[in-house]
Amino acid sequence: MTARETLAVARLGGRIYWRDKQALTATVLTSLGLGIGLPVLMDRVRAGDPSVVAAQLLGMLAVVLTLSGFNQSAVSLTARRDQLVLKRLRATGLSDGAVLGGELLNIMVQGVLIALVTTVAVVNLTSAPAPRDPILFAVFVVLGAAVITLLGAAWTVVIPRAEVAAPMSIPFFMIAGLGAGAFGPMGQLLPGWLTTALDLLPTAAVVKVGRATFADGTFADDLQAAAVPLLILTVWAAIALLVISRWFRWEARRS
Amino acid sequence: MEAIQVDGLRKSYGDFEAVREISFSVARGEIFALLGRNGAGKSTTMEVLAGFQRPDGGTVRVLGLDPVKDRAKVRKSTGIMLQEAGFFPDLTVAQTVDSWRQLVPAARPRAEALELTGLTGKAGTKVRQLSGGEKRRLDLALATLGRPDLLFLDEPTTGMDPEARKATWDVVTDLAAHGTTVLLTTHYLEEAQRLASRMAIMDRGAIVAAGGMAETLAAQTGRVAFELPDGVEIHDLPVEATAVEGGTVICRVPDPDVAAQTLLGWAGERGLRLRGLEVRTATLEDLFLDLASKENA
Repeated sequence: MTARETLAVARLGGRIYWRDKQALTATVLTSLGLGIGLPVLMDRVRAGDPSVVAAQLLGMLAVVLTLSGFNQSAVSLTARRDQLVLKRLRATGLSDGAVLGGELLNIMVQGVLIALVTTVAVVNLTSAPAPRDPILFAVFVVLGAAVITLLGAAWTVVIPRAEVAAPMSIPFFMIAGLGAGAFGPMGQLLPGWLTTALDLLPTAAVVKVGRATFADGTFADDLQAAAVPLLILTVWAAIALLVISRWFRWEARRS
Repeated sequence: MEAIQVDGLRKSYGDFEAVREISFSVARGEIFALLGRNGAGKSTTMEVLAGFQRPDGGTVRVLGLDPVKDRAKVRKSTGIMLQEAGFFPDLTVAQTVDSWRQLVPAARPRAEALELTGLTGKAGTKVRQLSGGEKRRLDLALATLGRPDLLFLDEPTTGMDPEARKATWDVVTDLAAHGTTVLLTTHYLEEAQRLASRMAIMDRGAIVAAGGMAETLAAQTGRVAFELPDGVEIHDLPVEATAVEGGTVICRVPDPDVAAQTLLGWAGERGLRLRGLEVRTATLEDLFLDLASKENA
């Protein structure tokens, strides 16, 4: 796999992405609508409480990353698998790593862009403050998007056909949003074991670091807060890579 | 070194044995046809040779390399026209070729690729608006983009009109004349007979006939057919009839020209006319039908 080949596939994927009305509606418009709309609404309901709006923003980032990373990855790769586009790409002489890496890089970049646009919009349209440590915040958005996109590719292993990719992936953004507080303090109503499980999600790792970068503290505090989330993301990435390397299907099943 | 060497290849999908210990080789610069009915194992064989499927047994070498282990190296010298493979429907033909040019080393210029496959006039058309035959031509344009040493063509002219089919034959013939090795699978026996110098016929995963096209057909019986004249009994004919179908006598003979001359001489002596006389040497279709009848017997 060469960087040139991977970038070539990513560029092609990006070209297709921005022409695909379905992807634009399901991913870009929905993500931006939810990600910006709910914090703006919260800002009207809870005027004068920037921390609540910031918490809502972080919760929505979990939803946005899941929709634009996990769901888009699962839906897009399943469709390209079933339509034999992946097979055609493999027929070019590109390595498997370049084909899949390019596809995922494109989806990840779109996810990061949507997450960053959401953040900038919410910070500018509401009373939510900007993150104190924007670089660490951005780094974890990128890492989170990468891992979540990889997990979407791994999820295609259990998706039998393209038609059911979307319905089979939708529950994950609800779960991610619930765990990250995107829908309000519903997490407080959940049993303890479930709260602990939700805290282990990759989206929760991004949100946890996000909270640290929005709160008062020092760079050392931020690094300390980032240690466990980094470990969680690493474990999820390893799981995704293992599943992909063993069971990823390049074309529809024959028997 | 052969371009393709297959020895004892086996491949199954679950309990279904798609390919059963087949062996054949394809010389460099040769057009080799792999023929057979649906489900005979042709496409599976091609998928193994292209490195998409791992063989269950036997050895396969493509340009001297293992197509699975050395897939990236093999692919850089091969072009593949798959029987089915998707496109991005919202891209135009020109955008599709341009996109693929970024993925193929030393690719042909777009104009050359489109001209080669007769798609210049469709450059601005979206792929979703192309006919089935035009999509096959776009497929061929992508397969030949990297000027491959070896070209896999899986049912290349399916869905094409006769003119496009002939144009595609010309492209394939021209590529082979310039040294490209071609492995072709097709349902169209005329296509195989026209293009290939050697062939193998597969049935139920095994090769049931193989060899040079001309020699194999020469070894087959030819066919003379005519309407039985009024008042003539079948046993009166100077050539043994193989069958009578709706008043038409069919004679399967090693040399159909000699048989026809004998029949015409016999009819002339008796003042008879042999209406609907047809004389032809063996075709691949005859070979197919022979194989099928042997199988049914």
